[in-house]
Amino acid sequence: MGKLWLICIASISILLPFLCNAFSPETPTDRRVLVLLDDFAIMSSHSLYFNALKSRGFDLEFKLADDPKIALQRYGQYLYDALILFCPSVERFGGSIDVAAIVNFVDSGHDLIVAADVNASDLIREVGTECGVDFDEDPSAMVIDHIGYAVSGTEGDHTLIASDDFIKSDVILGGKKIEAPILFRGIGHAVSPANSLVLKVLSASPSAYSANPKSKLSTPPPLTGSAISLVSIVQARNNARLLITGSLSMFSNRFFRSGVQKAGSQTKHEKSGNEQFLTEISKWIFHERGHLKAVNVKHHRVGETDEPALYRINDELEYAVEIYEWSGTSWEPYVANDVQLQFYMMSPYVLKTLSSDKKGLYSTSFKVPDVYGVFQFKVEHQKLGYTSLSLSKQIPVRPYRHNEYERFIPAAYPYYGAAFSMMAGFFIFSFAHLYSK
Amino acid sequence: MGRTSSTKEDAGALFHSLRSAYAATPVNLKIIDLYVGFAIFTALIQVVYMAMVGSFPFNSFLSGVLSCVGTAVLAVCLRIQVNKENKEFKDLPPERAFADFVPCNLVLHLVIMNFLG
Repeated sequence: MGKLWLICIASISILLPFLCNAFSPETPTDRRVLVLLDDFAIMSSHSLYFNALKSRGFDLEFKLADDPKIALQRYGQYLYDALILFCPSVERFGGSIDVAAIVNFVDSGHDLIVAADVNASDLIREVGTECGVDFDEDPSAMVIDHIGYAVSGTEGDHTLIASDDFIKSDVILGGKKIEAPILFRGIGHAVSPANSLVLKVLSASPSAYSANPKSKLSTPPPLTGSAISLVSIVQARNNARLLITGSLSMFSNRFFRSGVQKAGSQTKHEKSGNEQFLTEISKWIFHERGHLKAVNVKHHRVGETDEPALYRINDELEYAVEIYEWSGTSWEPYVANDVQLQFYMMSPYVLKTLSSDKKGLYSTSFKVPDVYGVFQFKVEHQKLGYTSLSLSKQIPVRPYRHNEYERFIPAAYPYYGAAFSMMAGFFIFSFAHLYSK
Repeated sequence: MGRTSSTKEDAGALFHSLRSAYAATPVNLKIIDLYVGFAIFTALIQVVYMAMVGSFPFNSFLSGVLSCVGTAVLAVCLRIQVNKENKEFKDLPPERAFADFVPCNLVLHLVIMNFLG
């Protein structure tokens, strides 16, 4: 009885970490999303965006940001797969959520969308800083663009800007080109160039700057030009995806439906690109696109099928791996021509590009180098917008056994001849010595 | 002028005296000398070959050269022990010297065969 109890405890404690993943490895798309709002009016004013999410199968749970009963996890298990923060002015989260809880949520592999706005609270700014972006320090600063603003009847202070400076990535923004510019009204943020995980999806035009529209500028603004990022994404090393933006009204029904005309251009678009842009980017954030898995790593000597425990130097070997991409509903073969394999011991001795058979199987064959030791088969694949693949399999390589060396080498025939002639000479000499006079 | 001709005459006289002294050695010692010369000559051929072709199967090269050098050394040892003019080995029967020579050569050839690759 005691043993059974022990087995139960052991199995639960082994399974518990797996229960905390954002998604099961079989279906990576998030399902349960917690949406924290400043007030429930946002539910109706942003209903187009939420309905688009619901129609794709997400379970949205709307709560006020300072609701005392909200919690991300209970008894060590996460209740949601993703978090949307549409609460730019919240001073303190309710319940058991705080910045540390949100950071842990992301660290355990879950996704996050944060929308700040003008006069965003310090809490939201802190969340942004933890994610790797720096909002403008002036709380009432907005992004102003006197050249790239959106022509509109009412707002004349050029804080409503139309931007079409997108990142070039079909994975993140979808295959269809976004024709109309994006309407944006809010604060900008900067991305540190040293940070390789954060990407600017939508940048401001070179003529934009971040300042308080109501007060006169006394010093040059710290954030200017294309360094201002309007929408940024982060793909963390554990493949959690985050979206940070400085405008909550970008998601609103009003911006989705309104037409847009960029100042200085003749084309007036019937509908802004906001809906298409945000729908596509949410697909990327919630792992409906660009999520890879690598399975079935196989290696063997050419001509054999089973995997040896170690190789010999100068062996011919073949390596194969299957890589699939999640399409939102099923695993499709991933097609790329730049997945590389390293045969690595302190530095790559062999670097080969794996060739794909278009059905997801990547393979190559090469000769083991003339060095023995413990090597690793390493596949490191990091492509913009895709999850990073980091596979590593250790394999020892042994030198020749004493009976595996070459024998009867033609270049050594003179030496063989000399040795044998010495033996013959000794034989003849011994007769001559014994039987001479 | 006189100096060079005298060194030339001296060289000639030296060569002749060496030759006549050598002619006086017993036949069996001359046979051993011939054997040693054969071994050294084979070793030299191998070294020249290695200098031309490179030392690729280095173990084979070492084995071949060492068999020649080892044979020469053992033959020289036999010659020392068999030479009747050698006071040091006066009491050693030449049969005993030959009986030591044979197994040493056998061991040498065993090692050579093993290292030849």
